[in-house]
Amino acid sequence: MTATSDTQPGSARAPGPSVADTLRSDSIAPPPPLLEQSYQFLGDAEIPFSRYTDTTFFQSEMEKLWPKSWQWACREEHIPDVGDHYVYDIGKWSVIVVRAEDNVIRAFLNVCSHRGTRILSTEGAGYSQSLTCPFHGWSWDLNGQLTQLPGRWDFPHVSDASHGLDEVSCERWGGFVFINIDPQAATLDNYLDCLPDHFKHFPLEQRRIKLHVEKVLPCNWKAAQEAFMEAYHNVETHNAPNGANAQYDIFGKYVSRFIHTIGSYSPESLADYAGDRWRSPPLTETEQLQALGVTDAAAAEQAEQHTARAVAAAIYREQMSADMGVDLSACSDSLMLDSIEYHLFPNMFFFPGISIPMCYRFRPNGMDTDTCIFDLMLLEPIAEGAEHQEPPEPIKLSIDQSYTEAEGLSWLAPVYDEDTGNLQMQQQGFKTSTRGGVTLGNYQESRIRRVHMTLDEFLDAPVTEA
Amino acid sequence: MSDSNYTVVARTEALPAKSSLRVELKGHDILLCHIEAGIFAVTNLCSHAEAQLHEGKLKGHKILCPLHGAAFDVRDGTALTRPATKPLCSYRVKVLGDDILIELPETN
Ligand code: FES
Ligand code: FES
Ligand SMILES: [Fe+2]
Repeated sequence: MTATSDTQPGSARAPGPSVADTLRSDSIAPPPPLLEQSYQFLGDAEIPFSRYTDTTFFQSEMEKLWPKSWQWACREEHIPDVGDHYVYDIGKWSVIVVRAEDNVIRAFLNVCSHRGTRILSTEGAGYSQSLTCPFHGWSWDLNGQLTQLPGRWDFPHVSDASHGLDEVSCERWGGFVFINIDPQAATLDNYLDCLPDHFKHFPLEQRRIKLHVEKVLPCNWKAAQEAFMEAYHNVETHNAPNGANAQYDIFGKYVSRFIHTIGSYSPESLADYAGDRWRSPPLTETEQLQALGVTDAAAAEQAEQHTARAVAAAIYREQMSADMGVDLSACSDSLMLDSIEYHLFPNMFFFPGISIPMCYRFRPNGMDTDTCIFDLMLLEPIAEGAEHQEPPEPIKLSIDQSYTEAEGLSWLAPVYDEDTGNLQMQQQGFKTSTRGGVTLGNYQESRIRRVHMTLDEFLDAPVTEA
Repeated sequence: MSDSNYTVVARTEALPAKSSLRVELKGHDILLCHIEAGIFAVTNLCSHAEAQLHEGKLKGHKILCPLHGAAFDVRDGTALTRPATKPLCSYRVKVLGDDILIELPETN
């Protein structure tokens, strides 16, 4: 196969076999959503650097994006019992999610209706049967009703109804609790696009948080997430051959995806990359199997007859079924092996894969334009009907710490160090450059453009009073 | 300080891992907490407004007050979050065989 014609902008593809070709020849076929393809050319104009560096731009995100868009605040298993709560901070905003009576989950702004004090001080999980402001002791029940007002005689103008907590929109999907600070927000279902349909095949509610790492990164939140939206950087940043022929899909305003195969790659896709490595000669199936951590000779022999991918998937199926107590015997090669990444606007990533089972969230770090917080969770499948255990607390890493300091990340730690190692230099370069903006590939970096286009819809929307 | 200040307050079987147990000793209302790092004892009354902590929730090494949600470190009683600012009184604990013993402060 040769490079597809590029007469139409965005229609060119890497030479050699495509991801879809690989998936179609797998030993166990993928569920239908993974064979869907959906790309549209969205333009090729530069994305101005100021969107990453300008404090005015950051401010307008704080006023028009974060209080208007759906975001997951926590997992349902963070708040299993009535009275459990979880505090989620996003820039200047802070939200309390509580499990109230009758299994209803509600969310309130974390702010007192008396003189504005933040009510719960720390982010994360907690518990109490009522919420009390630490300043003068006003207190609300789990439905946000004012229940205690010390010295009520002095507040004839305050009623339980007038000074309840400010409730915000709250819904659930896939085991996540989503909030939208806009009480008038359109429903989550609307916003999730194809996600509910696709994830029927790989339910996220049937997973548990195996590990949660929360790290501060030295760049704007968008630059950080964009480092995870393409596999184009794989060769240079990770010194790995696969990713150059990854598949990119845009499913709508809010949802996009990449599929990047593991255990196979296209030597042709590297035609104009520096050096001959991985091209002549290409890696053998045995070498590709070794790269997946499978080193025994019998498996290598099989790999030369079948493919490294088929052999590795079979081995992973068996091992991971036993480790996790779930039946993966019918799980497709692609779900077993590949890096399949769905993005939900503005800042969330969900991976349906089994050995690459991540979930990401990128947020501004307080009101700082130049740093952000990266939540990284590994979501491991649990057996059908199994009870959720108490999730682990996040391991917090500062801006200078390495992912190797987070216990449990194993081989992934150096990979995340590589991914995040470029970011400080990029944030700096945004400010040095005289070009004006970022240049994006029409196909491989199209997801990044889609996010900026949707972001503009939020920022251009007229301000409405809540 | 001699061992004679220690008094048996419970049997270990009454306090499985990740659980807490309220005990009384000479007028002291005490909460035993069995966490990963071992068994610890703090006063059962929240330092904020005296809610009973045995009705709260033990999460890792933290006890969370049922009334307004203050968190305390059960290992030493430190107040970790508002509205509590004062620590909980904490007691030394010893396990001898199947017995859990607590040391009351000498002033008693
Ligand atoms: S500011 Fe919250 S009770 Fe006064
Ligand atoms: S009584 Fe415990 S936090 Fe108020
Ligand atoms: Fe990467």
